[in-house]
Amino acid sequence: MKIDTLFIDKAVPRDFETDYLISRLKTDPQWVEDSKTVYDVINTADDPVSKAKKTLYITQNKGAVIKACPGTSYYTCCDYTILHTGTFCTMDCSYCILQAYFHPPVLQYFAGLETLGHNLEKIFTQNKIFRIGTGEYTDSLIWEKISLQPKFLVETFARQNNCLLELKTKTVNIDSLLPLDHNGKTVIAWSLNTLDIIRSEEKGTASLKARLEAARRVESKGYKLAFHFDPLVIYPDCENQYKKVIKQIFEHVRSESIVWISIGTFRFMPKLKQIIEKRFNDSTICYGEFILGLDNKMRYFKPLRIKLYKQIISCIKEYAPNLLVYFCMEDEEVWEKCMGFFPKKEGELGHYLDKSAVTHCSLNPHFL
Amino acid sequence: MSDFLCKINMLDIDLTDQRYKISFLEEDITFLAHSIKETGLVIPPIVRPLANKFIIVSGFNRVRALIYNNRAHNNETKILVYETKPDATDCSCLIMSITALAFKRPLTHSELIISTRRLSQFLDKKQIAKKSSAIFNIELNVRFVEDLLAIGALPDPALELIHHGNLSFKSAKRIASYEKEIIKVFLNIFSKIKASNNKQLEIILHIMEITARDAIKPERFFKNQNIQDILFDENKEPGLKTKELRAWLFEQRFPTIFKTRQMTREKITSIKLGNNIKFLPPQNLESQNVSISFTAKNYSEFEASVQNLHAVIGNKELKEIFNP
Repeated sequence: MKIDTLFIDKAVPRDFETDYLISRLKTDPQWVEDSKTVYDVINTADDPVSKAKKTLYITQNKGAVIKACPGTSYYTCCDYTILHTGTFCTMDCSYCILQAYFHPPVLQYFAGLETLGHNLEKIFTQNKIFRIGTGEYTDSLIWEKISLQPKFLVETFARQNNCLLELKTKTVNIDSLLPLDHNGKTVIAWSLNTLDIIRSEEKGTASLKARLEAARRVESKGYKLAFHFDPLVIYPDCENQYKKVIKQIFEHVRSESIVWISIGTFRFMPKLKQIIEKRFNDSTICYGEFILGLDNKMRYFKPLRIKLYKQIISCIKEYAPNLLVYFCMEDEEVWEKCMGFFPKKEGELGHYLDKSAVTHCSLNPHFL
Repeated sequence: MSDFLCKINMLDIDLTDQRYKISFLEEDITFLAHSIKETGLVIPPIVRPLANKFIIVSGFNRVRALIYNNRAHNNETKILVYETKPDATDCSCLIMSITALAFKRPLTHSELIISTRRLSQFLDKKQIAKKSSAIFNIELNVRFVEDLLAIGALPDPALELIHHGNLSFKSAKRIASYEKEIIKVFLNIFSKIKASNNKQLEIILHIMEITARDAIKPERFFKNQNIQDILFDENKEPGLKTKELRAWLFEQRFPTIFKTRQMTREKITSIKLGNNIKFLPPQNLESQNVSISFTAKNYSEFEASVQNLHAVIGNKELKEIFNP
């Protein structure tokens, strides 16, 4: 989606990073005192979510730059660390929680590479493994063509040995990353789905083929990879469709290059349903067999989740028996029935992932 | 108020012209007729002269009561009325009619809908909202006026269903956003059943979601033999039809959940724990917590329940409930 309105916070210094952004956006910026003007423009639009996707606000991060993934109670979290570089997304996935998460959603880019650097330095000096990602509140690579940030992050992470950077995306914006000296510390991850779901629910994203081709290209430059089947959507014949995607993964990249694959079925805050129905007339994604989960999110009925998970896991294991597959936000019963074990202790799942990070990205094993 | 008080011939009132009648309520006028007979007419009806006749603006029941008295007691045929000014407009008469009723008692939803729909011929939604406190004796915001107008645009049976409580305001608002053919489906359904607001909304939701999921038109879905059998069975009460329809729709909307719940219920029954022991499986099977409880008035009741529980240890169905 093309940016048609550009706001820049007056507090953002006019430096090389900002000039680089402005020069590539090709939209006259409006310098604003604070976010009120931006909020007003978005809130008064007929469809604030769509308006927000075309309105970029370059500002500074006024909150925590690095924070722990919030997770939810009752379901096991992977203890991820979020590097907060921006909010919202230019792509338009029907199921995207960000539509309902922010009030209103604002497409923010947090300028300030120096601030990012300072905050990261504090993490780099800890004797602990961190898996850090920028793809929690936005797509990690939507600004790759216009911003110096991805390059900065890859090169910054290359100079340390206790943190892995995961850039999670549905784009194929990788060109500027290819020539970089990443030192194996950056994992480029793609969110994957079936052809049906990409076509019907993931407006504005790269095709499955393009994503896998991009994965092959970054792999050829030594980057490690990850894949996320999240959200898995249950619909007739979905099992076979997901198996086809898995087959394609291993046709494109080597299993040794994959640090992990996460899986999680579609879940949503109840209020997202209204937004989906309003913005995506043809979407039937909310009409599956959902129940209210223990974290007050709608989730597929557990036997249905287990059935799909089992098939997907067994399919992945056929291609890559040793590959780390984990659930994003699932409970003991699902783990036990699908994986045969449950990372019960606090931080146990995180520890498994840290171990894979250490192995694949040559992090310091003493920090495990 | 109207211009002047006068006596007119009862036969000169055109009872067929009900353009200002906004109430569906056909009240029993026996008491009113008796009161008029005993006490006299306290507030005369308002009429508007039109083409050598008079049409009622306000006081339909009073006129009915006077006619009743006239027939029953052969009273005089002249009645005392307020006659509207010659320059009274359709709009001013309509407002007069609504105001007279709204300041007597709160208007029902169907009266509000009819009033707003008729007013919209003369005023836009913002004007209606602005004047609402003076006309309706209640403040209506523009959004609510929009809802009233949307519901007012529903086909005729809708108002009758709302009036009789078969169709709630919220359900009417929901179906008003659908296409004509779909609206007909729901009006048809709600004319056959009697459900609370929440149940009506659930029925609408399930039908719309099933048909969207299965890519079929709601009007085609409505022709499903199961729905037809439930709705058109003359021997079933509307309440029973509602229950059966909801159960069938739930099964269609959530087939796996329905089947699993049914199987779990059957297993619980087969365990035969006795009437005193309550066995609740985890809600929606999401949690793993099963709740088993019993009450005991004395030790022997306690002992009997514990023995019942002990007897089912090892039971195959019980194990399956814990390990589905």
